This record gives sequence, C-alpha cells and structure tokens, in this order.
Amino acid sequence: MAIDVFWRIPTHGEPSSLRNKLHHRGDWSQQEGDHIVHKGLSGGHGDGFTNLDYIAEVARAAEISGFQGGLIPSFPMTDEPWAISSFLARETSTFRFMIAFQPGFLNPVVAARMTASLQRATRGRALFNVITGGGGPAQLWWGDVAPHDDRYARTTEFLDVLRGVWSGNSFSYQGKFYQVENAALPAQLLGQDFPEIYFSGSSDAALASASKHAEYYLSWLEPFDQLRDKFDRVKERTAALGRKIKCAVRVDIIARRTEEEAWREVRRGFENLDDAARERYKRFAQQTGDSVGASRQRSTAPKELNDYRDFIIHPNVWSGLSLLRGGQTQGIIGSYEQVAERLDDLVRLGADAFILASTPHLEEAYRVGEEVLPLVRGHDSAPALRAVG
Amino acid sequence: MTVQFFWQVPTAGDGRYADAEKHIRGERADSRPYFLPGVTDPRGQRFNYFDHLHQIAKAVELAKFDGIKVRNDPEGDESWIVAGYLSRATRYLTVLAEFDASRGSAVYAAKNAVSYQRFTEGRFAWQIGVEPDEAKRRQQGDFVAQADLYPRVEEFVTVARNVITTTGYDFNGRFFQVLQGGFQGPLSGQKVPPVYLSGETDEAYALSAKLADVHVLDAQPLDKIASNIAQLRNLARSHHRALQIGLRVDVLVRETEEEAVFDAKRYAEQTGQKTIDNNVAGLWQGLTTASTGASAVLVGSFEQVTERLAAFADAGVEQFILGAVPSLEEAYRIGEYVLPSLRSLINGASQRAA
Repeated sequence: MAIDVFWRIPTHGEPSSLRNKLHHRGDWSQQEGDHIVHKGLSGGHGDGFTNLDYIAEVARAAEISGFQGGLIPSFPMTDEPWAISSFLARETSTFRFMIAFQPGFLNPVVAARMTASLQRATRGRALFNVITGGGGPAQLWWGDVAPHDDRYARTTEFLDVLRGVWSGNSFSYQGKFYQVENAALPAQLLGQDFPEIYFSGSSDAALASASKHAEYYLSWLEPFDQLRDKFDRVKERTAALGRKIKCAVRVDIIARRTEEEAWREVRRGFENLDDAARERYKRFAQQTGDSVGASRQRSTAPKELNDYRDFIIHPNVWSGLSLLRGGQTQGIIGSYEQVAERLDDLVRLGADAFILASTPHLEEAYRVGEEVLPLVRGHDSAPALRAVG
Repeated sequence: MTVQFFWQVPTAGDGRYADAEKHIRGERADSRPYFLPGVTDPRGQRFNYFDHLHQIAKAVELAKFDGIKVRNDPEGDESWIVAGYLSRATRYLTVLAEFDASRGSAVYAAKNAVSYQRFTEGRFAWQIGVEPDEAKRRQQGDFVAQADLYPRVEEFVTVARNVITTTGYDFNGRFFQVLQGGFQGPLSGQKVPPVYLSGETDEAYALSAKLADVHVLDAQPLDKIASNIAQLRNLARSHHRALQIGLRVDVLVRETEEEAVFDAKRYAEQTGQKTIDNNVAGLWQGLTTASTGASAVLVGSFEQVTERLAAFADAGVEQFILGAVPSLEEAYRIGEYVLPSLRSLINGASQRAA
C-alpha cells in the first residue's frame, strides 16, 4: 500500500517567509503591503484578480510537484472550501480537493447532490476532512444549535444519509437529527465515487463515528511515541467494529539542503518575533485550563522565550511553530534527507498518508515535491526496520 | 434603469432543436460506442456534462447577456457547485444561483456567498426558492410545515444579510439561530448578494414586498403581468420599499413566425401536449419543457418576440430570465438576433419617456 501525500491550501493568506511577517499574501493581515495582488494596477480600477488567483497557483504547484491534492481548511475568517473547489475544478487536472467542513452546517441530501456534482465537475477529485467541532458559543457563531454532547452522533447520521442516498435507490431514514423519505440522487449524478473521508477527533464518541465512516483518522503531529499509541488505539477500536481504518498526519515542515539552513529559518523567525507574539506566548505558558491536549502541550513547553533550541523535543522536531504562524506547534525541521527520514519514521509507527505544509505554500510546494518527496520510501521502509529490531 | 437579461443554464440536461428528448451532452449513458465501428471516436471518457455547461456559460457571455441563472433542480447538478464552476469561466456575468432555504445553516450559506463575492468581485446573486410539494420536500430531508415555508425564507434572508453586513449579530428565530455572528477581516464589507424571490401566492408577494430585491414572476399574458406588477409595487410601497420585477419566460424564436410555430407544434406533439389553443400574443402557455421549468414560451419571429419582450419591459419588467433548448445554440441566436434590437427598442422608449 503506497502512501498518499497531500499539500495544504493557505486559505488565510500567508507571509512570504516565516522569517518575518511583512509582505503578507492575501488580505488577512490588514497592514501596508498586504495582498500580492495590488489593487488598482489597471488605472485605479480593480485589476480583476482576487486571492483565489493565488490559491489557484498553489493548487497547480501542488499538482505539478506530485501531491495528491490539498487540504482546504475552514475557519471563521477564511474563504470556504466548497466555494474554492467549485471555482477551481476546471483549472486543475489531478489536484484533489480535501474539503474541511462540519456536517451540521448542511442538509445531508443537499450535501450529497453538491458532492456528486463536484465529483462530476472534478472527475472524482473531491474528498472530505470531516470536522465535528466543539459546542457552545463558537458553534452558535456558525448558526449551529445542536447540543454539545450529540455532535458526533449527528456526524454519524449525516454520513449515514449521505451514503444512503448515494446509491440511487429510494432511501428513507429516521434519525434524531435527520429524516428523509424516499430520497435518492438523480440518475444524472449516479455512479460517482463516494469521497474518501479524513476524520479528526479523539474522544470515544469521535472514534465510534470515525470507525463507521472514515477511511483515514487524521491527527496533528504529536510526540512520536504518543502518536504511535494513538494510531494503535484507533486501529484496534476500528478493527473491533469489523472495519479497517488508515491513519494520516498533518504536519508542517521546513526542509533545506542542509540541516543548518533549515534551522536558520527557524532561528531568524524566532529572533524576529514581535512583542505581541512574545506576550501571547507568556500568557499561554502561564495559563491554566481544563483542556487535556493544551495542558499536555504546556507541560513540555519552555517557560521563557530564550533560545529556539529550547523547543526541540525530538531530533528534527521543533515545538515552537505556532510562534511563527497560527496553527499547530510541532513541525519537522531538517535537511531534505532528514525530513524524509522522519516521515518514514511516522510511516513505521502507523501513518498511511500525510498532509504537509510549509510557508510560503507556493514556492515550498515545488521545493518539497522536488527535493523531499522523491526521498520518502513509505511502506517500503518498514521491512528494513523490522529486520533491525 | 437598464433592463437586464439573464440566460438560464439547464442543470438537468439539455435538448436539441425542436426535440423533446433530454440529452446530457458530453457524456454517454453507457459504454456502448457512440459512432459506428467504421469511424474512430477520439473522445473516450474525457468529457462530461460540465464541459457543456462551461460552453454554455461562455456562449452567454459572448452573446452579451448580463447574467446567468442556475436553477435549483433536484433532478440535476447542484446549483452552487455549477455556479462556482461557471463563475470562474466568466468575467462579467452576474451569476444567479437558485437554492432552497432547507440547504442548511443560513450563516454557512452566507459565508459561502461571501467567498463567491470575493472570487467574482461582486457578481454573485441568489434566488431562494420554495418547494410547494410536501413529498418532494421530504425527499430533500426537509420536514418543514407548509405554513412555515415563507417564514423560513424570511428568517434565512434576515440572518444571511445581517451576518454579511454587521458583526456581533444575535438572532434567535424558529429556524435559524446565531450568536455574535458576522464576518470580520477580509470577509467583512462584501456586498450582500441581491435576493431574488418568486411565487404567485399572496404570501409570496407579501414576503417579496418586505424583503426581496427582485421578485421573479412566472410568464403570463401581458395584462396579467401588468396587474401583478402593480400589486407587488403597492405592497412594497406599504413597507416603504421598492423592488425590481423579473420575468421567467422561455423563447422559441426563428427567422419567420411560420418556422417558429412549426417547431413549437412539433415539440408539443413529441411531448404529448395538446395543440395549444390558449396562446395570446405569441405566448404559448403550458408549452413547457421538463428541464427549464418555465410556465410559458414566447413563440415567433425575431421581430415579434423582440416586440413582445419590449412590451413586458414597458409594463415594468426590469430583469428577464430567458431560456431555450438547446441552451448553447439558442443563447447565440438570441444574443445575435433579439438582444441588440430589443435593447435599442427599450432604451429608445426610456429616452422618449425621459
């Protein structure tokens, strides 16, 4: 079984380098020099380009450099993955659109028709990153009122209905959240591949839902031993329910010709941290809260921002990335060979797919596709390891 | 006021000239060879219906229509996906996507609409339809009561508009709720998609008077349309608002009236529709094709149809949503033989009035 490697679409724009945050691409940083597209190039009028044109460049770079496609995340402040996918369907050839969304926001019958149409528009290149989301005020911002404790049950029901109408046979369903009567996709939309599902969420309720519907269980990078345990647990639980599930890791990387050059990127970014970022970190390090994941991160995090090397928690793994940009804290830093080796380490401990990212996503898609991916052995590396011990 | 012309793309299959059979151009129903063995076919499985939809959108823009309407047809491809796909293929057209208020969270729909606006630089519009048939609603996973159909549209539009234009927006309705809603940063300040509503009931009119930007009327004889327009305008005035009037009508236009009538009759025969005896001034009511959803077809020569459309404009119609089969070929025909003279006729009339 060969592994699949995806890239990521920077839906909230990005700086042109992790070294500093000036020259931000896209209109998200709200500062002078925003947006690679300069409004008014054509005599004071709009120039006809939008941030989608940059996103299109990244998607094409990803497909040209050998990635399967890209994760298109969804945040309150960013453009929507369904929209991006339909707009770029025709402009790309092999790029697979991994749409992040919360099932609760859509009627599942409509979602089935959207999905089948997108499969037709892209010739089968749509897949999902199903997020279930928290409860409370954050969900209400989205207009989602389902009670907190039921949300995974609703995700399961949503996917039940999506699959149910997919066959084209008359489908009825009496769930707690969704009911349908004699529903089916129209003939014109039948016969498309059902989208692969990447599923996130760690609780028992999440695993129960994942084990029924997901092809891949998706996790951020965690300390390697911890990740191995997590993947083992997911695979065991799913096997107990008579199904197989694969595992995927979503991780940022900084790969350069030499390890020294890679760490230089980190060091420059670390030295250029502004006061606001330092203040944010201080608050984070002193915080107390009830989130298990967050407190686990804090327990290993340095109390002060003295040296970037204090954040190295494993060979080639740096846990300070969230200082340089939003998102997860841990990333893989090293030479092309080292990064490929760490990815192969992750394959050995259970990963079957990756969603990689690096800033800026356009140039880095080419670099990673040309320099790192050709060195990754995938499951071919597994027997060698077993022979050693 | 410039009158605008939309072309409706057929999401559930197209037809051929005066041919009632549905065709999904670009894709095969089965794997049987399409040509006889003596002729090579280079296409393989490279194309499907989306390639045809793309061709139609390009044709609509080249033929100088103002916009494209993507119908919500549960038997066809989904309208938002088609609208996004076609938006990227066009530069100037307004893209009017129709959908049902049962599609999900109003906030999520609004958030997607904001992306459509950002990606098209403000060319996106939406038409929120209502499915009157209860069994069909349940097929769509929608168990709302009949009496709640329009109240739900009202809540949908209210929430969607407010989260696009404000922040810190709270709403606690019967169908939609939101807490501290509203889009920030680059998602803020986008134009609310113009809201198109339709329907011929008192309830539909009342709602449009209250919150539609455009009310789209079904095709009917001119005098009936004129009185409907008057009614809608009066209702809107009582809310201290104005709204525009749209008209959804199909066209069957040929060089001569004789040719047009011949094709219309052949079409009626093929579909088992009775000889049309209630057509007034070229408006063949009830001559419908399964895929367009229009209630009537204007049949006639280029000049006749041009004059009749101008008469509707004179009665107050400001947005025409036209359709015909086959969509691509007829978009060119209307763009070449009807729109130029029609536009100059309408502009001439409005200049004289001024």
